[in-house]
Amino acid sequence: MALSTRESGSSVEGGLTPPSDASPVGLRGQSPRSEAASAFAGRPTSLWRDAWRRLLRNKLAVAGGVVVILLVLIAVSADFLAPYSYTKTNFGRLNEGPTRAYPFGTDQLGRDMLSRMIYGARVSMLVGLGAQVIVVLIGVPIGALAGWVGGRVDTALTRFIDVMYAFPRLLFVILVMSMLGAGLMNIFIAIGLTGWVGIARQTRAQVLALRQKEFVEGARALGAPSWRLLIRHVLPNALSPIVVAVTFGIPEAIFTEAALSFIGVGINPPTPSWGQMVGEGQQYLRSAWHLCVVPSIAIAITMLSFTFLGDGVRDALDPRLK
Amino acid sequence: MVQFAISRVLWLIPTLLAMALVTFLVMHATPGSPLDPVSEGANPLSPEAQRNLAAHYGLDRPLHEQFVIFLRNAVQGDFGNSFVYRTRTVREILADTFPVSLLLGSMALVLAVAGGLALGILAAVYQNRSWDYVSVTLATAGVAVPNFVLAVFFIILFSFIIPLFPTGGWDSPRNWVLPTITLALAPMGIIARFTRASMLEVIRADYTLTARAKGLAEAPVIFKHALKNALIPIVTLLGPMFAAVGTGSFFVESIYRVPGMGRFFVLSMTGRDYPMIMAVVLTYGAFLAIMNLVVDLAYGALDPRIRL
Amino acid sequence: MKPVRIDDTQMDLLATRLAAIGVGRRDFLRLAAGLAALGTTGFNATRAAAAPKLGAGEKLAKEQHLRFGGGSWYDQDPASHDFNKDLYCGGTPQLWAGLMKFDANFEAVPDVASKVTPNADGSVWTFVIRKDAKWSDGTPFTARDFEWSWKRQLDPATAAPYASFLYDIKNGEAFNKKQLGDASQVGVRAKDDSTLEVTLEGPRGYFPVLSAYQAALPAHRPSVEKHGDKWTEAANIVSNGPFVLEAWEHNKVIVLRKNKHFFGAKDIPLEKVTIPIIPIASGVLPYENNEIDLSRLQTADLKRFQSDPRLAKEAFRFPYPGTWYLLPQVTKPPFDNLKVRRAVAHALDRENIVRVSQGFALPAHSMIPPGFPGALDDAKIRNIQKFDPKLAMQQLKGTPYEGGRNWPKISLSLRDEALGSKPLAEAVQATLLEHLNMKTELEVLEARVFRERLWKQEFQFVWIRWFMDYPDPHNEYFDTFYGKKTTGKRQAWTNDAFDKELEAGRDTRDTKKRMAHYAKAEEIMQSDVGYVPVAWVVRYAVAKPTVRGIEKNRQGEFVVDGNIYTDMLRHIHMIEKA
Repeated sequence: MALSTRESGSSVEGGLTPPSDASPVGLRGQSPRSEAASAFAGRPTSLWRDAWRRLLRNKLAVAGGVVVILLVLIAVSADFLAPYSYTKTNFGRLNEGPTRAYPFGTDQLGRDMLSRMIYGARVSMLVGLGAQVIVVLIGVPIGALAGWVGGRVDTALTRFIDVMYAFPRLLFVILVMSMLGAGLMNIFIAIGLTGWVGIARQTRAQVLALRQKEFVEGARALGAPSWRLLIRHVLPNALSPIVVAVTFGIPEAIFTEAALSFIGVGINPPTPSWGQMVGEGQQYLRSAWHLCVVPSIAIAITMLSFTFLGDGVRDALDPRLK
Repeated sequence: MVQFAISRVLWLIPTLLAMALVTFLVMHATPGSPLDPVSEGANPLSPEAQRNLAAHYGLDRPLHEQFVIFLRNAVQGDFGNSFVYRTRTVREILADTFPVSLLLGSMALVLAVAGGLALGILAAVYQNRSWDYVSVTLATAGVAVPNFVLAVFFIILFSFIIPLFPTGGWDSPRNWVLPTITLALAPMGIIARFTRASMLEVIRADYTLTARAKGLAEAPVIFKHALKNALIPIVTLLGPMFAAVGTGSFFVESIYRVPGMGRFFVLSMTGRDYPMIMAVVLTYGAFLAIMNLVVDLAYGALDPRIRL
Repeated sequence: MKPVRIDDTQMDLLATRLAAIGVGRRDFLRLAAGLAALGTTGFNATRAAAAPKLGAGEKLAKEQHLRFGGGSWYDQDPASHDFNKDLYCGGTPQLWAGLMKFDANFEAVPDVASKVTPNADGSVWTFVIRKDAKWSDGTPFTARDFEWSWKRQLDPATAAPYASFLYDIKNGEAFNKKQLGDASQVGVRAKDDSTLEVTLEGPRGYFPVLSAYQAALPAHRPSVEKHGDKWTEAANIVSNGPFVLEAWEHNKVIVLRKNKHFFGAKDIPLEKVTIPIIPIASGVLPYENNEIDLSRLQTADLKRFQSDPRLAKEAFRFPYPGTWYLLPQVTKPPFDNLKVRRAVAHALDRENIVRVSQGFALPAHSMIPPGFPGALDDAKIRNIQKFDPKLAMQQLKGTPYEGGRNWPKISLSLRDEALGSKPLAEAVQATLLEHLNMKTELEVLEARVFRERLWKQEFQFVWIRWFMDYPDPHNEYFDTFYGKKTTGKRQAWTNDAFDKELEAGRDTRDTKKRMAHYAKAEEIMQSDVGYVPVAWVVRYAVAKPTVRGIEKNRQGEFVVDGNIYTDMLRHIHMIEKA
């Protein structure tokens, strides 16, 4: 059996997030004790409700979740929240520190840092989510197909996945971005094209395992057609590692965008992106440190929150950690 | 196990081939040609000069021919001359820079493992108490802050505010400290988190309960029984992490002026240094694949439940 | 010696020559300053001795060791030091000495040549090589070395990308393009060990100026033949210049030592020069950390330096004439409409825009920066594109964009480069948005991609930083904007009246009349808004108080190494710390 504890929805260069340790069921079987315990659980609870409850008990995860929700809200309502437009310049007040008029100070063109940060939240959220959408759109079908159909299709797809997995991820993203040029859509594409491998693997593993479970056999016995089986019954149960991977993938996408912008192949001005602000502000670190520090802190907090949330989600969804 | 190893090694070849092909195609699809003049503001080369240069580099042949020629030479270890450092062969440059990245990466990894294990064990043993939170926050912070930001912070902090270390270079061990720490923080975070999770699983597992029930003191329980089992999955982390760290993080090497291989990659991108790009990607890929294999073999050897 | 007349046809040829070799526009700025002075002094001005002038209480440091770099000086490892074959090798020109060199006023003065004699019409130049010229291994340096080096450059087998630099030499072009197989027919000949006779394709009064440029530096034949491509490695190289390559650790550091066989060695104070390779990202940190003594400054650091009393003394400006301008492409809407272009010109608040560069730019109202021949300080010209937001909006009346509405998608394209270009472009964006409600998207492109598309005139709206090649208006106007050029045209705009003025300027002898033609040309171009001048380039460097001897030009400005003037190291001396 292929070693799959290493699987992850994320690579290990640059922004590193740990591989999910949702190994395929069967590697570490449940101990007889806990299985018996769940049989006696009593009240019927679905996996999701259980998970939700467990999640809520995890303080760090809740904190992370709250921040994430806040960020999404900020991103969505940027137009209302931001005191100035992110393009409004003021050449008389360049690189100023925080003042009453400009709570986060101004940047090298006299633009309000607070407004740029708020709009930057929107860009970061877009990047994080957009990239993951593409990752899921590519990775899940491939993985599901491989796991479900099996046989030669599976072998072929797995080989393909393995080859793609061998690609050094950040290098490849830079390569693709150089080819496509800068821009938000291109970043989605670049990160998406290089990041679907982990999710594909996870999906495949889950589908493989679930395929043999009784409920699938039962549904098949009832005459359900293959596709419906896959989509209606199997995939929903395979969701947990996907959810975890997506949650971890978001901060990683944000980090990758920051790295790309730092090199110069990311997002173009005047659209504010935190990564780009860090890159541009880096040369001012000695004279106007807020230019670099404020977006860095924002990136850090965002990534931290998503990571804690991801941790919590993974722990909550792990049936073994009852 | 031997069969597994052999089949993996054999699979390396088509994998590298595919990598070469994809990189080759993407590279040539990227606008901008290596024939353009290097300096700013310079006018384009005359058509004759361009033709001469193209012939010199073999760029005037059809793509598939170029690829085949490249493969043929690459197999013999000849990647040609760099387009940017025109008097040096790619092999020379890699021979100079790869060991540097390897050294930096190894040191960073050692630091990451040592630190990560320590943090992770602490967090697991004192789960949900203050040490846990501190550890987890430190670890996650290491993962969350981009290393190029950290690099600049460290330089300001340790070169200017507290003048302990030079701002860059690679000559003496003093130069090694800051880049290593910067590069190690993120893997340290990952290892810490993973160690914690792994330890927690093991601590709760039955055999630990058994050991405790047998009356063993806490320390041997942790260190002899729990740790050994917890460590095994961590081995699987090492492979990809070694590759990532070993071939150098571009940012760390750039900012600290470390003469390593990672720094070359983006430089070769902007210079459209085709031979260099191909070589870096393939080296990186091969290294990654080999380290993964080693790690898988090690994992198989360590965990008796896994049969390769 | 009666100086040779250099007519404007020849200036034009010089311009072509320089343009064709892809010499950085910036590079040649200094070049023909000398050409103006040529008329009086000819080429045999004696070099002033470079004995270090010490100020009061200054003592020469015991160790004459300079460390410099950073801020785009050696931000990348050189490909080689072989200027003869590869003009843009990025190497150290101080390893070599050419027939002539440029002084701080960018005038060509003799270096290895002790005498320069033209024939009657300037089509044959004879250079006498100094008897005491030697290679760094002690062997004598002769005229044959130049003959061989230049023929090597022209040899098609060498595939030197910029061999066209030497096309003025008789049969040089034919030889390089393989139309002529016999190198002995090429017009450069060593009559004997110390006489080099160069026969040109025609009268070329400027030829000695060319011979001062880096593209004419020699190479060491035995080393090339023995070591091939690797002949410029520290272990192999033999050079003839003021310094020798003592060590070259790739990507780390270049170490130079004074060449004791150099004929001017006794006038050179520095014994050792260390040049670490410092990427731009490191900024001025190594300088502040006392790892280097001399560096170039970037935007982010100037203000900080100027506000620190100690550091402020260490920073100084140096000439780097160049202009930032906008090119609204007349073939692409909305800029195909003259009124729109005028609106753009009037909407730019240049004074305000340059503040963004924090000292590294001055507002520009014409192409030539102040202090250079052809610079215009005419109120009439200033007015043509003066800042007037009301007027700007008024211009839009009658166009589909009246009131600043209905703008199509507009991309402002620029090259990705450090040194302040992007913030200025962003400032331009902001100004256009504010005064014309014109929203633009910045398109930052890699240098190569940018250039490719620029020559094809694919861009809609371009932000360009251009550097003066040589101080003559012919460079600013003809080389850059002439409509009938076949290659290297940055913009689609052409104007017959404009072209005529340029041709007149090229063909007229009388200086005053020439300048009048160029002034008219500027007027035409600005009225027709073929371009929009925005800012002039300013540059700063920093030097520790122990560094002395940086040369000054006639205007009293410090001059540091660039692509033309490379003499800095021969004059610097280090003093004891106070």
